[in-house]
Amino acid sequence: MTSYLAQRLLLMIPTFIGITLIGFLIMRLAPGDPAELRAAGGLGAAGGAGISLEKRGAVDEAMAQWRAQYGLDKPLHVQYLVWLQNLFTLKFGDSFKDSQPVWDKIAERLSVTIKLNVWSILVVYLVAIPLGIYSATHANSLGDRITTVVAFGLFAVPLVWAATMAIVFICGGDFYYLFPPGGVESLDFSEQWPLWKKIQDHAWHLFLPVVLLSYSGFAALSRYMRSSMLEVLGQDYVQVARAKGLGEKIVVFKHALRNSLIPQVTLLADILPGLIGGSVIIETIFSIPGLGQLGFESVLARDYPTVLALFTVSAVLTLIGILLSDLLLAVVDPRIAFGRRQQ
Amino acid sequence: MLPKIWRFTLALLLLTGCGDKTEVKVSDAPPPAQKDVGKPVTGDWLVIHSLSDPELLNPLTSSDASSSEVLNYVFETLLTRNPKTLELKPAVAATRPEISQDKLIYTFKIRQDVRFQDGRPVTGEDVLFSVKAIKCPFVNAPFLRVYFNSLIDAELVDPYTIRFVTKEPYFLNESVLGGITLLPRHYYDPENLLQRISVRQLAQDPAKLPAEAKKFGEQFNRNFNRSPLGSGPYKFSHWKTGREIELARDPNYWGNGKEGIDQPHLDRLKFRIVNNMDAALTLLKSGGLDYMEVLTPVQVVRGTNSERFKREFKKYEYYAPTYTYIGWNNDRPIFRDKRVRQAMTYLTDRKLIVQSVLFGLGEVVDSTIYFFRPEYDKDLKSYPFDPQKALALLHEAGWQDTDGDGVLDKVIDGKKTPLRFEIKVNSGNAVRKSVALVLVEELRKRGIDARVRELDWTIFLNDVKNHQFDAVVLGWQMQTTEPDMYQIWHSSQAANKGSNAISYKNARVDEILETYRREFDPQKRIQLYKEFQEILNDEQPYTFLYVGKRASALQRRFEGVEVFPDGLRPIDWWVPVGRQRYTSVASAQ
Repeated sequence: MTSYLAQRLLLMIPTFIGITLIGFLIMRLAPGDPAELRAAGGLGAAGGAGISLEKRGAVDEAMAQWRAQYGLDKPLHVQYLVWLQNLFTLKFGDSFKDSQPVWDKIAERLSVTIKLNVWSILVVYLVAIPLGIYSATHANSLGDRITTVVAFGLFAVPLVWAATMAIVFICGGDFYYLFPPGGVESLDFSEQWPLWKKIQDHAWHLFLPVVLLSYSGFAALSRYMRSSMLEVLGQDYVQVARAKGLGEKIVVFKHALRNSLIPQVTLLADILPGLIGGSVIIETIFSIPGLGQLGFESVLARDYPTVLALFTVSAVLTLIGILLSDLLLAVVDPRIAFGRRQQ
Repeated sequence: MLPKIWRFTLALLLLTGCGDKTEVKVSDAPPPAQKDVGKPVTGDWLVIHSLSDPELLNPLTSSDASSSEVLNYVFETLLTRNPKTLELKPAVAATRPEISQDKLIYTFKIRQDVRFQDGRPVTGEDVLFSVKAIKCPFVNAPFLRVYFNSLIDAELVDPYTIRFVTKEPYFLNESVLGGITLLPRHYYDPENLLQRISVRQLAQDPAKLPAEAKKFGEQFNRNFNRSPLGSGPYKFSHWKTGREIELARDPNYWGNGKEGIDQPHLDRLKFRIVNNMDAALTLLKSGGLDYMEVLTPVQVVRGTNSERFKREFKKYEYYAPTYTYIGWNNDRPIFRDKRVRQAMTYLTDRKLIVQSVLFGLGEVVDSTIYFFRPEYDKDLKSYPFDPQKALALLHEAGWQDTDGDGVLDKVIDGKKTPLRFEIKVNSGNAVRKSVALVLVEELRKRGIDARVRELDWTIFLNDVKNHQFDAVVLGWQMQTTEPDMYQIWHSSQAANKGSNAISYKNARVDEILETYRREFDPQKRIQLYKEFQEILNDEQPYTFLYVGKRASALQRRFEGVEVFPDGLRPIDWWVPVGRQRYTSVASAQ
């Protein structure tokens, strides 16, 4: 096991470098020049074209200075190596946009994104797993079909549309006022509030985003659950359990469920990067200052250090997630043994 | 940041990106009814919608619209503009500057009663420092610095008098110098690094500057991005990233009770960041916002007309000084002939575009000058939608469908050329795309093969700058103050990525534009620009489309609301005691 682990960890190094190289190249070879954007006054007013000729020379000079300051005047491969070198000392540099350390910017937005994602992952699992069990135990019944149609129906609903509808109809416009139309806390939110009030306020604000982030996930997970459950239910030991007179509940939840969960462990690989992934759409529509929004804005502004930092972090988490899920698989399923030769 | 006064001079220079963040200008709304609500009192908050976080809150290095909106309350400038007449008037300066005979030297006297928000007095040293900070090549404000290129020296005559020396006479120099943002030296340069470096030195080769200049630049770029401190009526309180920015009225503001200085009344200004327009409108309706400066055209027509909405909110509609145009690349063989360009304008149903694309929220225009300016020529010919006339012009210019493929053609430079071109638009701007589509539809019917191509903004901009287009739909911000059209229309600006992206070249226009810049008499300037506009009107290098209207929504409890040429001014607003909604402990100070 130890040698297997070491092997896997060593393999991660070239994989990681490959990923960063591709990410770096995609970002840097895409058209658009951050220096031009800066000189022209940000994205909103972008207009490098709006500078008269005699001033153009001065601006070009200033841009060259700016590029030199951030090392953008060096050849691309040198820039990559410098970036990689900084990375191994855990330096992500400063954002082009506001000269703040990229780490600080990420840290500032991390908590709300994690909060959002933890809850939505929980909701997805809490709804989809029982749904899958129900579908499997009632395979091909009317109930099974209805849940299937509903789950896939939800999967097909575009998030942008659903979120906009929710805002227009239940967020206090001309119709019902059940939830706030955006933000993470009330206008009069204060640090002096008692804890329960703060939690209540956050929950009220995050409810809709969490539900919206979750609904499309029901279909896939409940399908996985249904098929693995069906497979297990057809196996001999389940027949044996039934034959020795155990109740259906015990057969399903004690004997069948555990084994049918094994394939779900592999899905863990997605959860870890998913925690910080963030949804650009939900964060933008609901004005939630999370990492999805940060990533999106950074791409538009060609803020390379921030984009690359976010990219790297999620690459690392994905690699760790894959490794963990493989290891966990061995833990929950003794039939799988890494590093031991098959006798 | 661009202080408000600055935006007048800079406005022109910004190609408008999405058309959403432009400033608001001249009103056609009636003046507010004078109800008997008593005298303005202090108190209450204003919760303002902000579409995105500012990049940063640094008075010199931030350059986006969101940050200048906030910083305008925190900082002040030497001169400002009368909101009604847009004439320059003193702010921190005691009077308008004394200008030397040769129009090169500007001397400003500074008020002696101005204080920063930390209570320290403002002196000439602070003004001199503010200039040095702009001129320092290591400060991350290259774009701003470009406008101070002609400033070659500045020095203190006495502690409250400063003298600026400029390179050449230019009638807008007073406005540029008056727009200097006043920064507290003790706050932004605590080590006094710039003390021994003169403006003259800073204007020269950066390589020869002492190390202090570089050190200052690095500190300034890094340390002052989230905590602005100035002499304005509002103090910065906090910025929660992506959520809100709060400003609090400075109870000890130096301008309190002073004549000619804007009097703030509202205790707090909260800028709530809501990235989504639908969510923002919903939030407004549910009481989470008081003021949306910009409503989308759809929101104006639908969603803000219920009785309930009208009871709670008032809508203001007024022109925003941005015009949209179709630029024809004058270098392209097919557009070299002015008759073709005229035909294109005749084929553009501009009234239909305003009606169907803008829901009527706009006005067809025919000039590059804002129609409320005295320089605007009212006698310009407006090209109606007239396909017959357009076809006649095209035939006259030699365009016929000789090969029967349904597309007009002509032999140009010995080569048979079909009338076929591409209109480029930037993605994310539905209005501009619709404009192009309306035109393409019409052109198809007349045997002109045009198509629309949508490109990402940065790529689009690159193509425009490098003249890689046949036609583009774009917008320019106009000035509500004295215009200077040199950089868009002078032939020299066609080269080297200048603003004359369509390569318009006319010797007489060049001459007018040059003379105009050296002319200090407003009447003569008006005459010069009249001729200039007539030439453009005949040559149709652009098909001018429209000036759009902006609509804002404001909660009804506010008094003192008036629409100015530059839009609404929250600094004037106040709420009668009985109607105040928010109270803050801080305001009791």
